[in-house]
Amino acid sequence: MSRVQVPCHIKGAVALQVGDVRTVQGRPGVLVIDVTFPTAGPFELQEITFKNYYTAFLSIRVRQMLCDMDKVLELRLILRQPSPLWLNFTLEELQFFQHGPQSPSSAFTKWLSHPAPYEQPALLLQQALPDPDKVSSEVQQMWMLTEMIRANRTTARIGRFDVDGCYDLNLLSYT
Amino acid sequence: MAEKRRPTAPVAGASEARRASPARGLATESEEEFLRQAGVTSMLRAALLKVLEARPDEPLPFLAHYFDNLGLRSPANGGAGEPPGLLLLQQQRIGRALWHLRLAHHSQRTAFNNNVSVAYECLSASGRKKRPGLDGRTYSELLKRICRDGEAPEEIVSPLLQKIQCRDHEAVPFDIFRYGMLTCFVLLEFVARADALYEVLDDSGQADRRVCQAVLDTLEGALLAGDFEAPSRYLEAGSQLGPDCLALAMDRALLARKSNSAMLRDEFLEKAASLFIAKVRPVG
Repeated sequence: MSRVQVPCHIKGAVALQVGDVRTVQGRPGVLVIDVTFPTAGPFELQEITFKNYYTAFLSIRVRQMLCDMDKVLELRLILRQPSPLWLNFTLEELQFFQHGPQSPSSAFTKWLSHPAPYEQPALLLQQALPDPDKVSSEVQQMWMLTEMIRANRTTARIGRFDVDGCYDLNLLSYT
Repeated sequence: MAEKRRPTAPVAGASEARRASPARGLATESEEEFLRQAGVTSMLRAALLKVLEARPDEPLPFLAHYFDNLGLRSPANGGAGEPPGLLLLQQQRIGRALWHLRLAHHSQRTAFNNNVSVAYECLSASGRKKRPGLDGRTYSELLKRICRDGEAPEEIVSPLLQKIQCRDHEAVPFDIFRYGMLTCFVLLEFVARADALYEVLDDSGQADRRVCQAVLDTLEGALLAGDFEAPSRYLEAGSQLGPDCLALAMDRALLARKSNSAMLRDEFLEKAASLFIAKVRPVG
């Protein structure tokens, strides 16, 4: 599947904290990176790649015009690193990709993209086959009933091999 | 005030009395009150709801059977002289549970689940048993009864029971009970469909072995494809089991081998049922 990189403007990581950044020495562990796409209009976001530098959690907020990843306008990446061991953390080499110009979905299941070539039943004249419509109807019902049982599996357990706590190691050690 | 005779059926004495002259004030109240306090009103309402839910072909015998099964008779009210033995009680309970379970077809999911709950409660009631709850032995009895009444062959029933039975002394939780009941009834319908399929394949009085095997193999293939959870597998199975694909499969089978022996009904049913049973989740 082809992809095209979208040029972006990444505004510097801003540490969120209460109070003045310059005077108060603190490492809040939350960084915000804003990404805009000034040259490209709203586009369909396909892929984000980055190199992680000690970030623990990442949240992404998207400003878009429609649902899903269609017509993305801006992105905000919220990075969190709660551990005091990693005072500096960020994402490097941020890149954004959208769909290539022509990307036919190659995920057709085989029955759609390779329909069985039309084969004439060879024996039809020599020996009558059972009515395929009736056979198909019965077989499909049988398939449906089996699927229903498979889908209705219960997760309850009979608890046959559960022990009720009398094999606790502490109790055993007294014998 | 003269009482008018109305040509209505005597549905409920209380309502008719209400429509009569108001001079009967006190008597009217006590009749309605009497019925309500005796529990008759709620019982009749439950009975009518059951009829509406089950929509039987013969509603009046259905109602008669319903009241019979409520087990209202006690020795004091002129029922059986002696309290019945433990075994008879258990048989009665199983019979009653069976009756509840047969009220709705398994495809009417809500009604069927309701009936399963009632059946479970009926079997779990303490009565004269030492411990309340459903034990494995009664559960297994019930499974065997359902299969036997549905005339399923023994070779099909016993592998299924091996999977879903519980040991005699085990306590059967409701979810397992529900799954067991559903599986039994669905299996009975599956066997009926397989039987009908055999009839179609048996058109000239002899079901060709190659054709039967080809159809079973196609069904097995469609079921195997379903081990993934995508919804597209329903479409895929549908195309594999369509008339064109099946006709081709049957045709190819006839061309492939020269043998001309027939497959008997029992063998066909057993092979088909094993495809179904393979998808049943075992207990324990």
